[in-house]
Amino acid sequence: MITALKLVLKEIIYTLLLILGVTALLFLFFNLMPGNYMGKGGGLPVYLDLLKGLFTFQFGVSVVSGVDINTILFPAFRNTLVLTIGAICISLIIAVPIGIFSAYRSFKGYSWPLTIFSYIVSSIPVFYFGYLILFFVSRQTGFLPIFYPESTAGKYRFLSYVLPILVLGVANDAVSEIVRLISSELGRVMSTDYVVASRARGEYQLASSINEGIAIPLVSIIFSKVPFLIGGAVIIEFVFNWPGMGRLAFQSTLDRDLPVLVVIAFLSVLMVRVGMILKKILLYIFNPGEGRG
Amino acid sequence: MKRFYFEEEGIQSSEFHVPLYRRASAQDVFFIGFGLFVLSYLIVFYLISITNIFIKNPMEINIGAMFQPPSFDHLFGTDFLGRDIFSRIVKGTEAFFLPGLLSITISTAFGVLFGVLSGMYPRFASRIISYLLDIVDSIPRLIFILIIIVLFSPSIYLIMVFVGVTSIPKITAYVKAKVQVLKRQGFIESSKALGLAPSTIIFKHIVWFSLKSVLIIHATLGLGEAILIETSLSYLGIGVQEPFPSWGNMVAMGADYFFQGRVWLSTIPAVTITVTIMGLYLLGDGLNAIYNEKVTR
Repeated sequence: MITALKLVLKEIIYTLLLILGVTALLFLFFNLMPGNYMGKGGGLPVYLDLLKGLFTFQFGVSVVSGVDINTILFPAFRNTLVLTIGAICISLIIAVPIGIFSAYRSFKGYSWPLTIFSYIVSSIPVFYFGYLILFFVSRQTGFLPIFYPESTAGKYRFLSYVLPILVLGVANDAVSEIVRLISSELGRVMSTDYVVASRARGEYQLASSINEGIAIPLVSIIFSKVPFLIGGAVIIEFVFNWPGMGRLAFQSTLDRDLPVLVVIAFLSVLMVRVGMILKKILLYIFNPGEGRG
Repeated sequence: MKRFYFEEEGIQSSEFHVPLYRRASAQDVFFIGFGLFVLSYLIVFYLISITNIFIKNPMEINIGAMFQPPSFDHLFGTDFLGRDIFSRIVKGTEAFFLPGLLSITISTAFGVLFGVLSGMYPRFASRIISYLLDIVDSIPRLIFILIIIVLFSPSIYLIMVFVGVTSIPKITAYVKAKVQVLKRQGFIESSKALGLAPSTIIFKHIVWFSLKSVLIIHATLGLGEAILIETSLSYLGIGVQEPFPSWGNMVAMGADYFFQGRVWLSTIPAVTITVTIMGLYLLGDGLNAIYNEKVTR
């Protein structure tokens, strides 16, 4: 328990250091850019002001629209969080059974169409897949809304989450990655001595290899996919006109609205690092020996 | 699916040398073959597009022949201005070919440099390098690129430099792990005992003899990532701009006519992107399997 607490504490301190580094890097870029913007050349006091604003969540006002950034950013951040977590769950639901199946029969028999399917799904461009789904699911059948309702209409709000989450979860390259990793790791673990011995005792082969063969590879891959999912969210939110952080980032890129973009970068770094902390904790739970080193 | 029965602690598979072609299963042969097919048509398309032979002019507007479905004359049909889609796809390889190579070069060169440094000198170099690379790694790539576009210019070469920079951490991690294993092995220790210079040991015996496979795998996967980034940005409208063809902006332009039933305008570039990226992923994973590396994308 003490070890776990120490691990988490160490990780949190490292995260704070990293956020300092990221903001310093961004500040360096501001000073390198052409033109005069955001206190360029102000040196350390300006940087400290920026840091203070970010850490107290007082983000200031947008340059273009003049609105307080907090009021537009937090609903968008919540939407993107829901989108990302939902997409991870969908990817897991698709990829884990295929991986287990192809570990049992490696590329022979019935497993190869599923493996190829996972590769096709993970390399199809997410913007085109979005259009395809919009065309077939919404336009041809018409039972799922293709837009995000702005206000009221509470009963449709849940339904409008379905399509973007489904598209981002299916069409990202985590799917084939998980399939490949699970099929190779599970295949390796299932032929180790302790699993063979437990099978000889009459236990299920899968149940005794689930920790080393599935849980550890999954944890180590899922949380490192968070940055890519945020990147995919930018495109998906553009396709579905979904009011999230990615679309806000794209819009502020077009508007050259730097303060909003900085805050978005800060929040997404926070998301990535929280994912890393979760990864460390989960790896410690599944494999207590490893985290100590 | 156990390939090496003798692969245990202390005994390296290289001591029992199995030729590469005998390590491959049917799956690996299929994966690598498909990947080589994709790689070859990419190179052929690029060569055709820079020499401008065999194809129609991809910029030539022909209002009389708008929205023609695929036929013998126009292999993939024509788009909303009557331009030949096949020649635009061939020309579209120019948008990512050289920039992609640039990004691969940057990421492998610096990845090997940092990886070898932090693997060979764990005390001094390792901590600083891993901190710096964690900074780069924790900014999502697309957000980073958007910031670069706002601050500097939306040039594809600059974007690809940053794509290369953001994939340095992954390569560094693998090279570092590999170097840490290699460092303790007999042939490195004996070459130290023979009095070889550190540069010879690092560049000849570690990088050239033992890291080739990792670098090749990373190069194929990196080209796939570069194509993905380029097409995504062109789709969003901040990469290659419209009169010049790119697979991404062809999908974006064709998507306006998708709901009118003219599906080939965006489907054909999208299928091309899918097949290409899938081929590069399959090539990387097949090479992974026969070299027995554990490189993830």
